[in-house]
Amino acid sequence: MKVLHGFEYRRGTSVIHKIDPRSKLIYVILFTALTVYFINPLLLLLVLSSSFPIVLISKISNRWIQSIKGSLIFIAFIFIFNFIAIVLTTGSIWLAVTSGISMAIRFIALISIFSVFFLTTSPEDLTQSMVQMRIPYDYALTFNMAMRFVPTLSREAQIIMDAQRSRGLEMEKGNLIQRIRNYIPVLIPLIVSSFRRAELVADAMESRAFGATKKRSSLYVLKMENRDVLFFAISVGSFLLLLSLKLVFGIQ
Amino acid sequence: MILFEDVSYSYAPGKYALEHVNLSIGEAELIAILGENGAGKTTLVKHINGLLKPQSGKVTVCDIDTKNSTVAALARKVGLVFQNPDHQLFAETVEKELAFALVNFGMPLLGMASGVDWAIKEFELNQYRERPPFLLSGGERKRLALASVLCYNPQILILDEPTTGQDSRQKSRLANLLKNLNREGKTVIVVTHDMEFVADFIPRVVLLSKGKVIAEGPAEDILTNRELLMSASLLPPQLAELSWDLTLSKPSIDLEYVISKASSLLGGPQG
Repeated sequence: MKVLHGFEYRRGTSVIHKIDPRSKLIYVILFTALTVYFINPLLLLLVLSSSFPIVLISKISNRWIQSIKGSLIFIAFIFIFNFIAIVLTTGSIWLAVTSGISMAIRFIALISIFSVFFLTTSPEDLTQSMVQMRIPYDYALTFNMAMRFVPTLSREAQIIMDAQRSRGLEMEKGNLIQRIRNYIPVLIPLIVSSFRRAELVADAMESRAFGATKKRSSLYVLKMENRDVLFFAISVGSFLLLLSLKLVFGIQ
Repeated sequence: MILFEDVSYSYAPGKYALEHVNLSIGEAELIAILGENGAGKTTLVKHINGLLKPQSGKVTVCDIDTKNSTVAALARKVGLVFQNPDHQLFAETVEKELAFALVNFGMPLLGMASGVDWAIKEFELNQYRERPPFLLSGGERKRLALASVLCYNPQILILDEPTTGQDSRQKSRLANLLKNLNREGKTVIVVTHDMEFVADFIPRVVLLSKGKVIAEGPAEDILTNRELLMSASLLPPQLAELSWDLTLSKPSIDLEYVISKASSLLGGPQG
């Protein structure tokens, strides 16, 4: 569950925190596209390193490292499965190693880009920017709530685990299947109480006149400022530069 | 029976949830743990069944150092009922819910049936036996959660906020049950904010504030000590307030005592 802390927004004062979510979203979309498009590990490394200056400027390195560390196990899996699959299909160890490394870096880059975005963007700002991008409010709100309840859910999972262990449940006991079954007494209360809470939240919101008018006003309106345009320009510029490395200079 | 020796615990560096706690709870005691929100009450009781291990100091339960034991092993002796029943109910029927702990402990069928039957009778759950726990009302779910721990007959029973959402009939039933269990020789620990419940039914009190034990002793003494209650942000019981308002020389939480004093002040017949 610790890996989730690497995506959880904390208030910050850096310039990155202040940048309009729409600018940051452009960065995320462009560079995510690059991680999928590139195959060469060196190019992927460049994509990954695009997030480094953002991490440094926004002073989120501790939490960012948590997100990377937490996903190391998945990265290891990805590498191993890739390696095995390619050795079996092509028989070339060299190809298997480079492609395994590529896949691993691709995954790290994705984690890093999303981590940087979510660590520095407040859910409210994100919702507001979605609304201003003409996304229907219901969808924006659903997204916002989903993000908002991730830490709540992980805390609740911990309490439920404590409660069931207090009744003698041993999570680590038994073979693989038994261990998976051990999670049933944790998952069911977690799901049930999530439904209960969803109902409560819905009732509470409707009691406060949610959905009373078609057109909502907002407390804040996001406005593009110079720094937002600058961030946008740097993102697009470096995107084009990286793209040209492959398209123009033919680095595969 | 339960011994805390210089126990400290912190969730985040530099901020103690428990700070140098020394506490001894004997066999067959009925005791309340009081304190403001975030005083460390839940952290304290989680140390008793080993969910948390002391970061410094030592907790001993039934002569076992909790550091050398698992939660599952301690749970046989220590029953801990959590505040929110929805955090533990999961089974398809009330009956299976009650049997969960018994199954975990590998109890033979006969003992299991008698444990479940006892709990169903004691907590008036008979009509719900085959029903899913999620369809019960809030108060009933609370009772079921308590029953699901009591049915395996632990030597030490800890209840976190057992009175929330219970009407006065259920509260006095609960009080009677706790007294009976206590009379049978069980140690009962109640974590609560419900001052009236404590004043009426629980003889001994431990007062926590900001992770420290600031007072412990007879409820009669602590619940009538205005400064202590203030410093722990607790509302005094009504009888204590009445005693202060009447400026009794010895404030009390004993109903008959306060009434007799009050009527003598009014010049009425002596009680």
